[in-house]
Amino acid sequence: MSILSKMLKNKQKKRQDDNYRQKQDPQKPEDLPILRDYQENISHLKEEVGNSSDVNVREFRIGAHKGALVYIDGLANMISVADYILETLMEAEVPDEPVDIFQFMLEKTMALGSVKTITNWNQVFDTLFSGDTVIFLQGFNKAISGETKGWEKRAISEPSTQLSIRGPKDSFTETLRTNTALIRRRIKSPNLRVDAMKIGTISQTDIAIMYIKGIANEKIVGEVKERLERINIDAIQGSGYIEQLIEDQSWTTFPTTYHSERPDVVTSHLLEGRIAIVVDGTPFTVTVPALFIQFFQAPDDYYSRFDISTGIRMLRILSFLIAVIGPSVYIAATTFHQEMIPTTMAIAIASQRENVPFPAFVEALIMEVTFEILREAGLRLPRAVGQAVSIVGALVIGQAAVQAGFVSPVMVIVVSITAIANFSTPVFAMAIAARLIRFVLMGLATMLGFYGIMLGLMFMTIHLCSLRSFGIPYMMPLAPFNIRNQQDAFVRFPIWAMKNRPMFISKGNMKRSGDHQKPGPPKQTENPSQNGEE
Amino acid sequence: MKKLVKVILVIGLSVPILTACWNQKELTDLAFVMALGIDRGEDDLYHVSFQLVNPGNVSAGQSGGGQGLPIAVYKSTGRTMTEAARNATKEVSRRLYYAHTNVVVVSEEVARDRTQLLNLLDAFARDPEFRTTTEILIARDSSAEEIVTTLTILDKLPVTKITKEIKTTEAMKGENFSISIDDLIDGIVGSGKEPILNGYRLIGKQEEARKASNLTRTTTEAFLGADGLAVIKDGALIDWIESKKARGVLWVLDKVKSTDITLKWKGKKNALSIVPIRSKTKVSTIFNQGKPVINIKVENEGWISEANTAINLMDPKTIEKIEKLTEKAVKKEVQTSIKEAKRLKCDIFGFGDVVHKANPGIWKNLEKDWNNYFADLEVNVKVESYVRREGVRTNPFWSDINK
Repeated sequence: MSILSKMLKNKQKKRQDDNYRQKQDPQKPEDLPILRDYQENISHLKEEVGNSSDVNVREFRIGAHKGALVYIDGLANMISVADYILETLMEAEVPDEPVDIFQFMLEKTMALGSVKTITNWNQVFDTLFSGDTVIFLQGFNKAISGETKGWEKRAISEPSTQLSIRGPKDSFTETLRTNTALIRRRIKSPNLRVDAMKIGTISQTDIAIMYIKGIANEKIVGEVKERLERINIDAIQGSGYIEQLIEDQSWTTFPTTYHSERPDVVTSHLLEGRIAIVVDGTPFTVTVPALFIQFFQAPDDYYSRFDISTGIRMLRILSFLIAVIGPSVYIAATTFHQEMIPTTMAIAIASQRENVPFPAFVEALIMEVTFEILREAGLRLPRAVGQAVSIVGALVIGQAAVQAGFVSPVMVIVVSITAIANFSTPVFAMAIAARLIRFVLMGLATMLGFYGIMLGLMFMTIHLCSLRSFGIPYMMPLAPFNIRNQQDAFVRFPIWAMKNRPMFISKGNMKRSGDHQKPGPPKQTENPSQNGEE
Repeated sequence: MKKLVKVILVIGLSVPILTACWNQKELTDLAFVMALGIDRGEDDLYHVSFQLVNPGNVSAGQSGGGQGLPIAVYKSTGRTMTEAARNATKEVSRRLYYAHTNVVVVSEEVARDRTQLLNLLDAFARDPEFRTTTEILIARDSSAEEIVTTLTILDKLPVTKITKEIKTTEAMKGENFSISIDDLIDGIVGSGKEPILNGYRLIGKQEEARKASNLTRTTTEAFLGADGLAVIKDGALIDWIESKKARGVLWVLDKVKSTDITLKWKGKKNALSIVPIRSKTKVSTIFNQGKPVINIKVENEGWISEANTAINLMDPKTIEKIEKLTEKAVKKEVQTSIKEAKRLKCDIFGFGDVVHKANPGIWKNLEKDWNNYFADLEVNVKVESYVRREGVRTNPFWSDINK
């Protein structure tokens, strides 16, 4: 194990070195100042962006002054540009006495919410490519930028990957501002902080780090920022990139960061003291630190009553176990421990396996791999073809393979139960971990029977206990065991009993609710009739 | 790096040591031995019949089960069980697998010979695959092979029929009860209680028992049934307690759960049928001048399942009278069985254990010659019966006929 950690340490050191060099030698165009001659500015711009057809330049005249405004077609809102910049510019009556025309324009002609003065070319490109409009004026070595962002964006729709029955039906979109607004709407507190950041030397992707000051652990907030700043990559395509670049441990199948497209989930994480990383261009928001048990908590757990949620959560954990050890238990029981199967069942399985040409392991492997292929194919295929795949798949594994005698019906049952159990994990990242471990355990079961399965599970447990997510033990509150945090582990306590925020993750303001929150009928007063009159 | 290598080495090296279960065997390479039949041949060898299950013919799966016979019986001989089992591999294509063996049938001939019977048992107790919870039976008036080869209707597997039948009759009739190899060995080893075994009989035409045609009829030409209890003394069968007297033994052993008692009422025979539903027996001992006296107290509750005479069941006094009659009937049964056991000089009830627990000092003196002492032991029987209800009818229709 030490070799791995050494390698990692070296890598980290190297990464820091790279980072340092990078800052000395930025890939961005040189930080040139804006020139006084607007014509020269325009030609410099055209030189930089080449002959890009979506860069629109519109020359104008205000009073005696000439100038040009630049915006990106498609990113800027055409109506804003036309109505609130061009129209006011042309109709502006420039006073006769000599005025600072730059200041005049800034104050009188820009009917926009946000207007800024910029002085160098980096700022020009930044504002331009975020959809704002830049105005160059003859004789000034600075430019005006006006906020005209307005590209085509997807409307807020129902979440497609994390469904809930009673929860809110909105989900994040690909636009950063929409996403932060969705969270802000749910937490109307000045303590909700949104720290902006740009990552990606070429893509310049906007990222917002959100947390609630006073609840979130400042140390972890600092750590998150540090890790984000360390990222040096050309482009961020989605939050998955961020996840992989900031997680504690790469050599694991278990996710140590959580992602969700549900604003209510992210909000509740923020309230527990976690930190959300909203990435522009993806509807999936990352939250850290993420603990093992968190991947078995579904939003509906909190919207329905505690007894029901507890039962369903237990079921989820059980089905995760089935998804992990299902086929391996079948292999171990039928090839090593036939004495453990009840006699009639053993005979029933034996009769089904009578004509199967493969040993149990090969049979299980064939079926599992076939199923994985079908699932993968179904995932990627166009919707119209997907149906055909599922029909063919059902026929191939369900019927034909059994009738042809390649596999036994029991195996089909085992594979189906395993697959369905796998789907009941609320977060895909955890479900996929179970899928991978399953195959390892199948191999161990073939070689060593139940002993092998136990060996595998023990290693899995040890590995899980060794994981950290931003310094927090991954198996909290199970290992290290913490009695106070059991309120939301296997058993979901009633809301009025979940008085405290999870330890370590949250610092400072630990109290969640007041005392005596348990509801009940009003206590009998001495004079009930008087009570009625009130 | 070194640490990683060490970890892998330790795991790798521990694999061959921790190999209690290192015996991978595919289901299709196993022959499930469901029952064993042990006879003695004229050559003085064990003749062992292995009843193997034919899985494809048992479970009604998609592959059209039930075309052939559910079981196949192979026979082999040997001086010991192990030798016979290994000899059998010359005939059977698959590895014989004993973990699902549910019944061992021993012929009466073998059971009557002390060495023959005792030589069997260690093999069963020692083999890790074999379960000592396996039912053990004595074949009556037929060879063990005949019992093992008989096909049964209703239950496809003859073994299922035997084990289920014993459990059902134990619960409903109380003349036979489940006895495992473990119980037998315990009984043989201990001195305070002698073991008893179930007798099993092939009823009907023996030559038809193993034919498929036996399965195609509603009334089979040959079938299996429990009959009587075999008394084992000093590791060999000495005599039988017939079914009629067997229930008394089970009353004392506290094995009777439910049964039926037929009573005479005011001169009319078979007039009442009482079905106890709960029964409890306590055996205790008191010492009278250093001599143990056994007290048996049987308590049972039941209901009237038949009343074939004009009787006023509404009257509590009648019920009281019925209770008295029941007590008398049960007491008689118990006393008969004790008399029978005394005749055989064999303490099948475990009175010796009761004395042992009550007074180990006295037991030490009695232990050596206990069975002879048992023959003259004073045994008091007390029965308390309660009739709790009389079914869904109060007075029988007989009361109305006479009006």
